[in-house]
Amino acid sequence: MRTTVRLFTRTALTVAAIGAFAVPPAYAGNSETLEIYPSEATPGTTVTVNTLACGKHGRGVGDANSLGAGEFHLNPSTHKEVVVGQFTVPEHVKPGTYGISVACDNGKTARGDLIVKHRRPSGHVQTGVGGSVGPDTAQVTAGAAVLAAAAVGGVLLLRRRASGAQGH
Amino acid sequence: MSNRSKGWGIAVAACVGIWLVQNGSEHVTPPVPSAAQAFAAGPSVHTDAAADPLPPSAPVRLRIPETDVDTPMMGLGLAADGSLDVPPAGNRNMAGWFEDGTPPGAKGTAIVAGHVDNAEGPAVFYTLGALKKGHRIEVDRQDGRTAVFTVDAVEVYENKDFPDRKVYDEADRAEIRVITCGGGFSKKNGYQGNVVAFGHLIGVR
Repeated sequence: MRTTVRLFTRTALTVAAIGAFAVPPAYAGNSETLEIYPSEATPGTTVTVNTLACGKHGRGVGDANSLGAGEFHLNPSTHKEVVVGQFTVPEHVKPGTYGISVACDNGKTARGDLIVKHRRPSGHVQTGVGGSVGPDTAQVTAGAAVLAAAAVGGVLLLRRRASGAQGH
Repeated sequence: MSNRSKGWGIAVAACVGIWLVQNGSEHVTPPVPSAAQAFAAGPSVHTDAAADPLPPSAPVRLRIPETDVDTPMMGLGLAADGSLDVPPAGNRNMAGWFEDGTPPGAKGTAIVAGHVDNAEGPAVFYTLGALKKGHRIEVDRQDGRTAVFTVDAVEVYENKDFPDRKVYDEADRAEIRVITCGGGFSKKNGYQGNVVAFGHLIGVR
């Protein structure tokens, strides 16, 4: 029974994973190339896209809903035949490949893929201030006790010696 | 017993007492892993085979039975300098995990960090440097499963030579890193390094 449930869970997860990475069929066909820079980005990064699809002085609307970044506008760049737009990778998007599409005012479309990678930490961690570093109070106490005992023993011994010498 | 031998006994006791006081007054620092616990010393005699990774699920508690560690877990992000954030220093029994990364038990490298101490004294990972190859690290997860890891190595790195890739890169099986401060302490510069325990998943409960 448990195996069945696990198998089912695994299958469901696999299906979900395939679904997440699948190219939506609406973008297939006559789409032109959408250049995406950087093509691999971490959350928080501003991504710039451009395409020739919209033509000279063209405009377009980009769709970055696949990764939760909404829609964005594309406007003519300094190179007049290219339109350019930007969006920001949301902070909590999962790593993976996301399709970005653009619908031009001239009816053409363009699409490309953005790979989202997560940052890894770098460098050492700051996990201590030294509050545990210090004298070993138990050992110091024990040492003091031994010293005290030796002192008492020494005094007794000297006294006995002194009285012993008197006795002779 | 002759007075002479009594005298010697007292002299020896005095020396021992002086040594105890002097030695005890020096700084006692957290345990540092021995060279035998490093990767370079080779794997432990008995190494458990890697278990199949689990689906991702957030950790809620971490235990290291050999050193009596039993701590809740919180999510951690990155600090402005790109280093892993750490749990609040005021809480001496709190570990954290890098929540944008791999959860413990899932395929990849789960990164866990906690304080060795705070201003008041020892904290959750004070004993991390005393861990040995083959010791267990257990992580309770939100999905009700417990991921059991075995320690592959415990290494200590200087802060300036921290090996990012070795510690943080994603493994292609389920692995864990537990990180804390260590490797020498100076009043001026604090802890000079990090102790890192490396482990891999060997079972699920």
